[in-house]
Amino acid sequence: MSAIGDVWSFLTTGSNWTGSSGIWTRSMAHLWISLVATTLAAAVSLPAAIWLGHRRLAPVLSVGIANLGRAIPSFAVIALVLPISISLGFGLGFWPTCVALVALGIPPIFTNTYAGIVGTPADSTEAARAIGMTERQLLRRVEIPSALPFIMTGLRISTVQIIATATLGALVGYQCLGSFVIEGLAQPSRARDRLLTGALLVAAMAMFVDYLFNRAEARLIPWRRTVR
Amino acid sequence: MDLDTAAIALNNVTKRFSETGPAAVTELTLGVAESEIVAFVGPSGCGKTTTLRMINRLIEPTEGSIKVLGRDQDALPAHELRRSIGYVIQQIGLFPHHSIRRNIGAVPELLGWDRKRIDERCDELVELVSLDPSLLDRYPAELSGGQQQRVGVARALAADPPILLMDEPYSAVDPIVREHLQDELLTLQERVHKTIVIVTHDVDEAIRLADRVAIFNIGGIVEQYDRPAAILRAPANQFVASFLGRERGLRQLALLTVNDLTTIAGPTATLTTPVASARQLAAANRVSWVAIGEGQQLLGWVSLHEADARWPDGSGEQATVADLTLQDFVAVVRPDTPVREALDVIVTSSSQMAAVVDDDTFTGFITISQIAGGLD
Repeated sequence: MSAIGDVWSFLTTGSNWTGSSGIWTRSMAHLWISLVATTLAAAVSLPAAIWLGHRRLAPVLSVGIANLGRAIPSFAVIALVLPISISLGFGLGFWPTCVALVALGIPPIFTNTYAGIVGTPADSTEAARAIGMTERQLLRRVEIPSALPFIMTGLRISTVQIIATATLGALVGYQCLGSFVIEGLAQPSRARDRLLTGALLVAAMAMFVDYLFNRAEARLIPWRRTVR
Repeated sequence: MDLDTAAIALNNVTKRFSETGPAAVTELTLGVAESEIVAFVGPSGCGKTTTLRMINRLIEPTEGSIKVLGRDQDALPAHELRRSIGYVIQQIGLFPHHSIRRNIGAVPELLGWDRKRIDERCDELVELVSLDPSLLDRYPAELSGGQQQRVGVARALAADPPILLMDEPYSAVDPIVREHLQDELLTLQERVHKTIVIVTHDVDEAIRLADRVAIFNIGGIVEQYDRPAAILRAPANQFVASFLGRERGLRQLALLTVNDLTTIAGPTATLTTPVASARQLAAANRVSWVAIGEGQQLLGWVSLHEADARWPDGSGEQATVADLTLQDFVAVVRPDTPVREALDVIVTSSSQMAAVVDDDTFTGFITISQIAGGLD
C-alpha cells in the first residue's frame, strides 16, 4: 500500500481516534505540553529581554547565554532532567519533556525581543524622552510596540519548534502525538501507518499554529500593513 | 538681553562630556526674550545642539544654571519640564506604530487630557499646521517628508507650551519644501507667539526666521548675538565675518525691502512732453527711454530709438512722446518686495531701473546705486 493510503486508512478508522491512546487524547496532550512550555519560556525570556534591551545591557552576553538553549540537544536535556525529576517526585513524562521544551523555546523569544527593543528607531526614543515620557512610558508606549513584530516572530518560532519537538516526550513515556511515532517504530518495517500519521499530525499542528500567528500579527501590527 | 526678564536664561553654563576633554559649551550666558525666535547657528561641533538640549535637560549642564520662564530648571522632574517645552528634531521622530492623531496627541495624553479634548485639539492643530485632516488616521510611513515635518510641529505645539525648541527642523526636507515650511513657521508664529529657539547650520535660514541670531564658535562660545541685520552690517570679528561668507551683502539685501530705499524720479515724462525734452531727460539718466506718468499712475514707457528711426534727419521737433508707441513697464517692484528680488529685476531688465508701484500709485524708480546706498 502507498504511504498516503496507509495514513488515510489509519485516519479513517474510527477506533484510532478514541480512547486514552487515541488521536484526540494525544493531540490534546501534545497541545497542552506545548502551551505550558511556550508560556513558561515567554514568562522567563520576555521580561528579561525587555529589561535588558531597554537598558541596552550586555548584548553579547545575554544573546550568547540565551543561545545555549539552542545549542544543547533537546533529547540530551530530557535525559539529564529525567533522573532529577524522578528523584524530586515530579515523575517521568511531562516535566522532563517540558523543561527541555522551555530551554528550546527561550532563545527565539529572547533574541528577537531583545533585538526588537534595541532596534527601536533612535529618533523615536529621543522624541519620546524629549516630549516628556518617563522611562516606563517610553518602554510601554514606544519600545514594546515598536518591538512587537519581533516579539511575535520570536513567539511564533518558539511555538512551532516546541510543537515539533514535543514529539520527543513519547520517549520518556509522555502520551502525545510522538507516541504514534514510537509505536510505529515497533511495528514490522512494512507497516508505516502509525509512524507517518504521528509525524503528519505534528507537522499539521505546527503549521496551523503558525497560520494563527500570522493572522494575529496582521491584527496586532496595523502600521506594518500600510508601510509603502 | 536682560537675563531677569528672559523666557530662557542661561547663566554661565558649561558642559563637559569628559573630565579631561575640551568643554562642549564654555561659560555661556545668554537670554532668549519671550515671544522671540532665536537661531543658534554655527559650524558642526560648536555646541549649538548641546546648548539646545540643555534647555529641556536632555543633557544636564556640568556647571551654571538655566532658568525657564523665571523658574529654576531643576525645580521639576525632567519629564515634567519637557512636557511644557515643545521639541522638534531633525529626524522628526514620529512614533511609527501610532496613527498621526495619536502622534499629535502624545503630550496631551501624557498630561492626562480626556479623549474628547485631545481629539478637538488634534483637529485644531491639523488646521494650524496646514495638514489635510484625512491624514489623522494614517500612519507616519504613509506621509511625505514635508507632511511628517508638519506633524512634528503639531506634536510639539499640542499642549500649547510657551516654548518651542527646534533642532535642525528643516534639514531633512528638500529645499523647496524647506522654504515653504519656513514661511509657514513665520505665519504660525504670528498666531501663536511662542518663544522659539531654532538650531541650524544654515545662515540663510537663521537670517530668514530669527529675530535674533547667536553665532556659535567651537566650544560653545557665542561670538555675536544680535539682530540679523546688525550682525550682517557689522560682524563682531573675523570668525563671524567668514562664517557669514562672501555673500554677506546679498544676505543683507534679503532683509531689506524696497521701502527701505530712497527712490529717484528717473526719466519720467508726461504724454505732452515734446520728444526733444524727452531726449534730454533720457540722456540725463543715461538711458534711451522715458517713462510716461500721468498723475500718480505709470502708463508705460516709450523708446527714443523709435524716435530716432522715425525722424532720422532730426525733424519731428513738433512731436510729443504721445506720438511714440507706448509699451508696458515690465520691471516693476512693490514697496514690500525684498531688495534681493528687486536687484534681480533690475539686472535682468533692459531698463536698468525698476519702477516702484504700490497698488496703482507710482512712487519713483530704484537703480543699483539706490540699493548700494541702502546697504550703507
